[in-house]
Amino acid sequence: MASFELVEPSTLEEAFALLDRDDPAIRPIGGGTALMLMMKAHLFQPVRLVSLRRVDSRFSGISPSDDGHFFRIGAMTTFSTIEHAQDLRMHFPVLARTMRTLANVRVRNVATVGGNLAHADPHLDLPPVWIALGAQAVILSPGGERVVPVDDIFVGYYETSLRHNDLIAEIRVPLQRSWRAVYFKVTTRAAHDWPALGIAVAAEIVDGMINDLRLVLSAAIDKPTRLLQAEAVLRGAPIDATNLRRAGDAAVEEVAIEADGQGSASYKKHLLRIYLARAIQSVAEESAA
Amino acid sequence: MSDVVAVKQIGRSIPRLEAREKVTGRADYVHHLRLPGMLYGKIFRSNVPHARIKRIDVSAAQALAGVYRVATIDDIRKVIPNPYYGPAFHDQPILADGKVRFAGEPVAVVLAADRRIAEEAVGLITAEYEELPAVYDEIEAATSSTIIHAELKPASTFPDLQHLKGRRDTNIALDYHLLRGDPEAAFAAADHVFEHTFKTQPVMHTPMEPFVTVADASDERITLYTSSQGPSFVRIEIARLLGWPENRVRVKVPHLGGGFGAKLYIKLEALVTALSLIAKRPVKISLAMEEQFFMVTRHPCTFKIKSGVDRDGRITARRCDIWWNGGAYADIGPRVTQKAGFTSAGPYDIDNVAIESYAVYTNRPPAGALRGFGAPQTAWAYECHMDMIAEALGLDKIAFRRKNLLRNGRPQATGTIMRDAALEKVLDQLVERMDWQLPFDRGTGHVRRGRGIAIGFKGITAPTTSVAIVNLYGDGSCGLYIGTVDMGQGSDTVMAQIAAEVLNIDAASIRVVHPDTDVTPYDMGTLGSRSTFHMGTAVRLAAEEARGKIDVLAREVGAPPGHNVPLSELLRRKYGMQAGNIIGTGSFIPAYEKPDSKTGASSLATPFWGVGATGAEVEVDMETGKFTITKLINIADVGTPINPQLVKVQLSGAAIMQLGFTTTENMVFHDGQLTNGSLADYKIPTLLDLPLQFVNECVEAYQKDGPFGAKGAGESTTIALSPAIGNAIADATGVRLTDLPITPESLCRAIQAAKGTPMPGD
Repeated sequence: MASFELVEPSTLEEAFALLDRDDPAIRPIGGGTALMLMMKAHLFQPVRLVSLRRVDSRFSGISPSDDGHFFRIGAMTTFSTIEHAQDLRMHFPVLARTMRTLANVRVRNVATVGGNLAHADPHLDLPPVWIALGAQAVILSPGGERVVPVDDIFVGYYETSLRHNDLIAEIRVPLQRSWRAVYFKVTTRAAHDWPALGIAVAAEIVDGMINDLRLVLSAAIDKPTRLLQAEAVLRGAPIDATNLRRAGDAAVEEVAIEADGQGSASYKKHLLRIYLARAIQSVAEESAA
Repeated sequence: MSDVVAVKQIGRSIPRLEAREKVTGRADYVHHLRLPGMLYGKIFRSNVPHARIKRIDVSAAQALAGVYRVATIDDIRKVIPNPYYGPAFHDQPILADGKVRFAGEPVAVVLAADRRIAEEAVGLITAEYEELPAVYDEIEAATSSTIIHAELKPASTFPDLQHLKGRRDTNIALDYHLLRGDPEAAFAAADHVFEHTFKTQPVMHTPMEPFVTVADASDERITLYTSSQGPSFVRIEIARLLGWPENRVRVKVPHLGGGFGAKLYIKLEALVTALSLIAKRPVKISLAMEEQFFMVTRHPCTFKIKSGVDRDGRITARRCDIWWNGGAYADIGPRVTQKAGFTSAGPYDIDNVAIESYAVYTNRPPAGALRGFGAPQTAWAYECHMDMIAEALGLDKIAFRRKNLLRNGRPQATGTIMRDAALEKVLDQLVERMDWQLPFDRGTGHVRRGRGIAIGFKGITAPTTSVAIVNLYGDGSCGLYIGTVDMGQGSDTVMAQIAAEVLNIDAASIRVVHPDTDVTPYDMGTLGSRSTFHMGTAVRLAAEEARGKIDVLAREVGAPPGHNVPLSELLRRKYGMQAGNIIGTGSFIPAYEKPDSKTGASSLATPFWGVGATGAEVEVDMETGKFTITKLINIADVGTPINPQLVKVQLSGAAIMQLGFTTTENMVFHDGQLTNGSLADYKIPTLLDLPLQFVNECVEAYQKDGPFGAKGAGESTTIALSPAIGNAIADATGVRLTDLPITPESLCRAIQAAKGTPMPGD
């Protein structure tokens, strides 16, 4: 690993100044768990890393919004903090459950929410969960601030819509009290592995009827993606074998699943049909409980 | 001064001698070593599987500031004129010599004082190749016109390989034959004949400590610090390459972070020796975890097995045809071919047996020894085959095995009479622990449950020698000088217990001197479950000799019979001060008869038998093919354990490793290129993959000629584990998989195919 500059600005202005040049070798860094692996594998050789850990409080903390419509989570919040935050556990139990299958405690103690989004590896577990929960990201740049759905950050394989001096400051997760969410991490090799596919579902289900839902697939495709056709099949529909099969058919049609080390495309499509149905049923069980 | 203790040292689970230094980070590894003026070497590897090298351009690398120099085979030749090495064949060049034979083969090395600069410079080297047709599959390679080595070059180490000398235009490095009785006639007469073919995949040892070697050469002497399981062999082979006497080559081995057969024979040592001679400075090469895939692997194999069975369920004949994929260089593959070959008909009493076992060169990374020396691959075939026969004939799987099991006193396929092999006991204990007679819940809905067992055995590599020295110092304290490498298995502790038992001292007070060929005597290597039996016996003999010398000394200085005068006092009386030594030596080579080259017959084919059985219960999701091993029971015959706790962790460690080779590990190649060469994609099992119930036990047994009744334990639970899981999955699903590894996808595909709804291929 060649040497590089690591800077820890304490103000946003300083951070923007350090990120001013549009140079791929200059990057903001959160927990660094993904960047370090890329650097060790010689996939990324930085000239300068700009750490955000000392930048102002905008990037940290977990709290409900004043109007009570959403929770804000600072982008530098570590996964462990999320895992153990009592109010998040109460409103979004899917987060703590997902954490238990995500990497290991050493990574969770360091990895951050914002860095995780900006990394845009399609195998990451949290992005599909945020999308299913309808989360938005607050992005700061020297020109100001914008709020975008988390979905819009992802453009392709390791590709985002973020510009070189964009910083994800926080994410906002809407409180939808009648909704329930699950995430299925489907591994096909060892227990501890990247998912072959990740399926996140959030839905409002009353008496076996799906009023509304968000259905997200990750890992098997180039970016976490809403399965809109499958959603359309299920929205306003009762949960039964026919509808689940039709939703599965729609899901495998609407995305381009490719083979990789975790499995052939046909096996992953087979798994998508099965786990999509199991995920919906799991949300239904939670809703009934 | 050691205390005289009355406590028995054998059979006690004393803590490992090195436990404290390991957990405090004080233990010595080659990775920590830095010598003044040391250069780091980084390897440039081929990216094509089979090619003539047209040109290697090192100019840009050489020009990079901080690069000391770049070496190719032309530079190596200046210090080692005939730069070919290997334990069985002298077929492996220190760096690619005009040709590359697998993708990943070392072609050039950059030396620099800063390892990052060496790494950067490697990226600046280019090579031009003229690609040759390549062959990867062992069956195809056996008859292919694509030849990997023009001529076979057996080393002089093994007399039974000499007939191969000069053989040309073949990829078959060794053909092993065994013939007992008249199998063809027996097949013709059999009531039932079954034939099945099984395959195993390439896997890697994955020691936590990757290969590392430091060489410090001068004109007169060379010292190697290396992560080796066989320092004596390293010395012999380096001395041969240099044309030097052994006493000018010193090989030191501190602790090892795992070996499992990878770190045997020559690995980095010849290369680093040559580089140090070229640079006239100490040189270190430490491989990255990912580079280990290109050093040595476990043989994939194809095993065609055929059995004749009579109407009473007796196996009357068996034929085994096995092709071992040895990769581009033979390493110890020919010995694997022979040693796993002769037990490949399984632990059964069969009058008519034919075995053909072939070591085959291919354009893949070399394959060598890996925890079991081929026995796990053969057991995968013969124990799945046993269940398939029992299913077809409607026989009880346990009773079918019991009926055919080889009993002590009966001849094994080689003719060697079985002794001290507790096969029946192991099977009985397994059946009991599995609660086999109780009703079994077969699952509901899409979850199906099943169970399976398997039993296997292995021969031990022979003939091999161990020598030990016990040195008692002036104050009576004891040093034990042995070439056995403690790589985590606990050999330091066990050897100290053996010496302590004989000398009647506390094992923990003994200092075990780690391998240093200037100091420690010869040992063939820490391999193949041999150390406890071979080195353990040598240590016992050395300690007995020392005890005899103490008795002589006592008489000489006038101590009365039955005295309790400590050794320090006896020495003081003799020398007038704290001085002198008592030195005992022990040397051990078990009896052996070389097998007949045509029939494989031998009255003494192995010094002892490794025996292991495994039982598994599984739960299969019939929709996805995902399965959970809910129970895994391993039973082994290790004779009488010297240290029961260390035996137990050996058994569980070997089982976890084999679990990986059964379910998760697979080196995937595409056109000769490894496509999953990192631990992110090559999945070794973690603690999360352990069976819910995981039991490892040994039976009560006694190995008559072993030290205090003991024998080796490091491989016993690798043998039968894969087929036990395969049999359990077949029991749960009704679907039989013949290829390893068993993955959710391979199982799902088989289930769907059996349902008449096959999944499309990609």
